[in-house]
Amino acid sequence: MVTQAAKNEVHLEPGLKRTIRFRIKRCDGPGKPARWENFDVPVVSGEGVNVISCLQWIAEHPKTAEGADTTPVVWDSGCLEEVCGACTMVINGSVRQSCSCQLDNYAPLDGDTITLEPMSKFPVVRDLWVDRSRLFHNLKRLKAWAPIDGLHDLGAGPKEHTDDQHVRYKISECMSCGCCLEACPQFHQEENEENWDSSFIGANTIAQARLFNLHETGKQLAGDRLDTLAAAGGVSDCGNAQNCVKVCPKEIPLTEAIAAIGRATTIHRVRKFFRGK
Amino acid sequence: MPDNPSFLERHHFLLRRLHSLTGIVPIGLFLILHLTTNSSIVWGSFLGDSGVAMFQHEVDFIHSLPALVLIEIFGLWLPIAFHSILGVYYAVSGSTNTKSYRYGGNFRYALQRISGYVGVIFIFYHVATLRWGWSLPGAYLFDAHAASSTTAMALRAGSENPWQLAGILVGLFYLLSVLLLVYHFANGLWTAAITWGLTISEQGQRRWGYVCASLGAALMVMGVTAVVGFVTLDIEEARQIEASLHTAQQPAVETTLAPEDNAH
Repeated sequence: MVTQAAKNEVHLEPGLKRTIRFRIKRCDGPGKPARWENFDVPVVSGEGVNVISCLQWIAEHPKTAEGADTTPVVWDSGCLEEVCGACTMVINGSVRQSCSCQLDNYAPLDGDTITLEPMSKFPVVRDLWVDRSRLFHNLKRLKAWAPIDGLHDLGAGPKEHTDDQHVRYKISECMSCGCCLEACPQFHQEENEENWDSSFIGANTIAQARLFNLHETGKQLAGDRLDTLAAAGGVSDCGNAQNCVKVCPKEIPLTEAIAAIGRATTIHRVRKFFRGK
Repeated sequence: MPDNPSFLERHHFLLRRLHSLTGIVPIGLFLILHLTTNSSIVWGSFLGDSGVAMFQHEVDFIHSLPALVLIEIFGLWLPIAFHSILGVYYAVSGSTNTKSYRYGGNFRYALQRISGYVGVIFIFYHVATLRWGWSLPGAYLFDAHAASSTTAMALRAGSENPWQLAGILVGLFYLLSVLLLVYHFANGLWTAAITWGLTISEQGQRRWGYVCASLGAALMVMGVTAVVGFVTLDIEEARQIEASLHTAQQPAVETTLAPEDNAH
């Protein structure tokens, strides 16, 4: 019997040469017009070639498939092992990390085409490099931290419940890559920073609210976080398309976090209605 | 939050939750009752004398309710208007991306919005023509004393012959809209459980999904039964049954009594 994993795994003989056509959406800077350029990249199977190594090859050979000289393609990257999220881009129409996009699996045939675009929900800095400041702004908007600042020793923190630790561990793997936001039909690029605080906050930040509201020290700010998530752009702006959980590279149960925060917000607001605070 | 938050922003959470709630109570609950009543044109013949008699009996009961207009305004028209206006406002703030992300949930998201748009147009046409008597294209006025025959006429765009273009278009419009509205309710019931936080785990969401899908399937069967039942109704026979019902017994309430009837 062929397992699902085996079906998805393409086994190429090592050492086979093939050419991959890259179609890349380029942009010289903020506000500049976008254009498409093609690059033919020679690839050898069994060498662990990924999209990043092809971009490195293009940087060494900045010549389009049509033979015209061009500038090297700019992209953002950090760890190159799918834990930092910096190299996230739209590959063949679907968002993912380019470092973990292995070509022997993803484009095993000679002449396969791979289309690269920058994420559409963040402003482009250049080519495939986007400015994800809003993502970090939203984490601050939520107060996604445990409040332990002070001048004196706070001593040991309270004990964490094992069940909560299990829920939190998975959410803590979030690397703020932005895949869930790119695939979300409710999250849009917002150029005017003044509107950031009333625009949809996104699945990753809602999951962070669950992460910190379950934390024994972090939950001191639970009420503030739920107030933020009850306001415009909060959890109720979610349209339940559930694309976020499908595209999350860390398989974080984002839709469960959204539902849990939906419940917490409901209870918080009803309690506040009767108690006043 | 901007310095001068708008009314919608200040009451964001309450309005969102009311939008979710009105979709279930009263609108969803009414949809269930409405489709049960209307499909009695077919199932009535299994439980009573005829579908026409059963449907007439139910319509007479509804028209016997005290302060019916107030029930309609506060129980139906205002909640539907609230849900529709806010729903369209929310829906236009989204953008579909089913081309890139071909997941089931994403298609349900898109269809929820499309069915909402069609539903707003349909409900307006349905109520304006049958209840308010507006003379829109294909309109035919509903008469509560001849409930079955006039409903059947309305579904044929006012012609006794069911096979003419205007009638077929109105019939298909009803069929499509009823199916979309039932979908809208069933899927809305599923997402409402996430919105309010009743179903949290993926497993719980899936289980509730089966319940909502079953309810939706049952309501779709009733909706199709009702539309097909009225479109294929023998209007001449229905009129005879309705006439015999009104000579045999007084209608429950004389709502259309003209003043000269009481004049001495």
